[in-house]
Amino acid sequence: MIAEPARGSVHVELTSVSKRFGSTQAADGVSLAVRRGTIHALVGENGAGKSTVGKIVAGLYASDSGSVAVNGRAVRFRSPWHALDAGITSIAQELALVPDRTVVDNVFLGVESVRWGCVRPRESHRRFRALADRTGIHVDPAARVGDLSVADQQRVEILRAVARRTELVVMDEPSARLSVSERSQLHRLVRSLRDQGITVLFISHFLDEVLALADEVTIMRDGRVVRTTAPAAETADSLVEAMIGRELDATFPPKPASPDCTATPALSVRGLRCAGSAGADPSTGLDLDVAAGEIVGIAGLVGSGRTEFLRAVYGADPAEGGEVMVGSQPLRGARPDQAIRVGVGLIPESRKDHGLLMERSVRENVSLPHLGRVARAGIVSRSAERRLVRAANTDAGVRDGGMETPMRLLSGGNQQKCLFARWLVPGLRVLIADEPTRGVDVGSKRAIYDLIASAASEGLAVLVVSSELEELVGLCHRILVMRDARFVAEFTHPDLDETELLRHAFGEAPVSEAM
Amino acid sequence: MHRLNVLARFGIVWVTLALFVVLAVTTDGFLTAPNLRNVLDQQATLLIAASVATLAMIAGGFDVSIAAIAVVAPLVALRVENATGSVLLALVAGCAFGLAVGLANGSIVAFARINSFITTLAMSFIVFGLGYIVSERSILRPVSENFRDIARTRVLSLTTATWISLAVVVVAWVALAGTRFGRHVYATGGNAEAARLAGVRTRRIVVAVFALSGLAAGLAGVVAASRTISATPSDDFSFVFGVIAAIVVGGTSIAGGTGAVWRTLLGAFFIAFMVNGFNLHQVDPIWQRVIQGVVILVAVAADAWSRSRRA
Repeated sequence: MIAEPARGSVHVELTSVSKRFGSTQAADGVSLAVRRGTIHALVGENGAGKSTVGKIVAGLYASDSGSVAVNGRAVRFRSPWHALDAGITSIAQELALVPDRTVVDNVFLGVESVRWGCVRPRESHRRFRALADRTGIHVDPAARVGDLSVADQQRVEILRAVARRTELVVMDEPSARLSVSERSQLHRLVRSLRDQGITVLFISHFLDEVLALADEVTIMRDGRVVRTTAPAAETADSLVEAMIGRELDATFPPKPASPDCTATPALSVRGLRCAGSAGADPSTGLDLDVAAGEIVGIAGLVGSGRTEFLRAVYGADPAEGGEVMVGSQPLRGARPDQAIRVGVGLIPESRKDHGLLMERSVRENVSLPHLGRVARAGIVSRSAERRLVRAANTDAGVRDGGMETPMRLLSGGNQQKCLFARWLVPGLRVLIADEPTRGVDVGSKRAIYDLIASAASEGLAVLVVSSELEELVGLCHRILVMRDARFVAEFTHPDLDETELLRHAFGEAPVSEAM
Repeated sequence: MHRLNVLARFGIVWVTLALFVVLAVTTDGFLTAPNLRNVLDQQATLLIAASVATLAMIAGGFDVSIAAIAVVAPLVALRVENATGSVLLALVAGCAFGLAVGLANGSIVAFARINSFITTLAMSFIVFGLGYIVSERSILRPVSENFRDIARTRVLSLTTATWISLAVVVVAWVALAGTRFGRHVYATGGNAEAARLAGVRTRRIVVAVFALSGLAAGLAGVVAASRTISATPSDDFSFVFGVIAAIVVGGTSIAGGTGAVWRTLLGAFFIAFMVNGFNLHQVDPIWQRVIQGVVILVAVAADAWSRSRRA
């Protein structure tokens, strides 16, 4: 590059860019200018087209029509390599690292220091140190990437981008999988990238984050740009209104009437010891009762043992000891099918890895645990199955009746509703939901809260884990705080307070760390 | 785009139909009852093994022990026949041998968590070795005239080999497409952890598909021996290559989770028609292999391409 273009000049410009997938118009005449050396946020509901735009900029998708210009010159990326050549890197939601190689190997993958065809480890380490000093990102260079936390893996990806002399980084939902304290570290890092002159296209669901971080915000709806503005001119509410095209209803549904906690609990856990939960005192286990009609939340940092607890209750992983009772029936062994038989359903943390069969239809995904009900002598009755699925989908508010649509074509919100639909069948007694609104757009969030509240008012015992404390406070009758695989505090409605929850979740650590 | 999807999804249907029509128009002797009956008869053993192996493939398993089982099951069967004189007992023994090997495969894959390709490859060597031991390294022949009737009786002008293969195809098709078991097979291959959390007993499914695949391979081997009225010990893997070719040309993914028995049926007939056409045109068999290999690559590439298009 001969002369460094000035900060604030247009770095990437999209003009009337459109992209279609099957019958979905993912981007519809999008025009957008990203200025050099700024943090430019893209917000919108799931399916609004923000990821599509990010992928077109990064060369992962080719647009059907319209033009893309980098530094004023029209480009047509046919692969991510072309984008890399133009100084553009993307850091996707699902990180793309080689887990079995070290941090250094990953950072310099494809741009190794080589002499006579051999990698020069000492030179690589020298370059790595220089890079770490320049960016202020410190990760153990010899660590195996697969052993790192998600946050550290993300830092490795950022280092990799910088090592390639990237001028623009597309970050797609970088904070979705981070804990609260990790998020604030990420924010510092993104700001420091900008201060070094790197342009950041920042795609996020977290509006507070966007308002605090971005220099410019582009709001998208239904594949179109609603407007591009300065965050100072916006509030979280104004963003949401623009994203969903109407005023947002109250964020949370009214809580169902407080349940009768004197009756036999629907779910009763005694002395449960989860396998592999570090720091757990082996002599005691976890106790928990959930009454029919009660919504109980579990708060805690990522790694506090929340997910392990839920999975042990459901029988997804073997417990090392303890007892789980559903009504008066004990659950034994690591057998999800037995949990389902006595009326327990789990909505797992990761839809894609643990929840859904992406290649199969909505119908097959929803009916999967209940085929025994619609089969005679092992032969599935298609009409009975369709009735079951139609009723469940209606209850869960799964949009459009395309029961035969492959799951992968649905938006994140609709996929999550399908997971709810799977358990909205007669006979369910306990619903366990791990991060039920992760990666879900604002409009669908409210729908999911409604589903949880209505499930409880119909007499289900509901157990929810969430990293979003506001969500737990808004939904639950009772919240337990988990730290080091133990319950350290319990709060009951109406004494639910986010700051108090955080204080217990962090233990002695200062609360100011969190956002 | 939508029309393109339909074209891609049912590609094997159009291609097989087109090949059939082209051969019918251009090739003398193709569209005749004796020729087509002959093709059906020749495909019988492959279809028996491939239609059931499709289930294993969809469940995420890869069974290469089919070849070994198909070689050794008839040796076991003929040993029993030679000792007892009973054709029925021979048939049962051959199938039972295949089932037993399949159960062993499935148990090792499901419980010891060893990759299924490696498991069944190792098992193949064991089984091939057993074949030499069972047969004492000699060609075995039936003592009863009736042994040949298993495959070579004519019913409504088709051989029993053909009828057996059609029956197996129908059973595998219905089991996969219509039953709870079949849904669990798709779920296990599509995402085993998601399936388990939805209540599918995925290990059982894995054991079951390998057991059935072994059973079908045993049956295929006995039918083949009945057609040739003999069985020879060998360590010839070629049968499983034909089986896998039929499955992937049909469009079942080796990654598991998607596919169908009808696809394997079409894949098998596509290859069979092609070979038949070559023979009728007297194409050198050595070149036939080369062309077959190219066709398999093209089929799999087309499949991969159509998948990557639908982001």
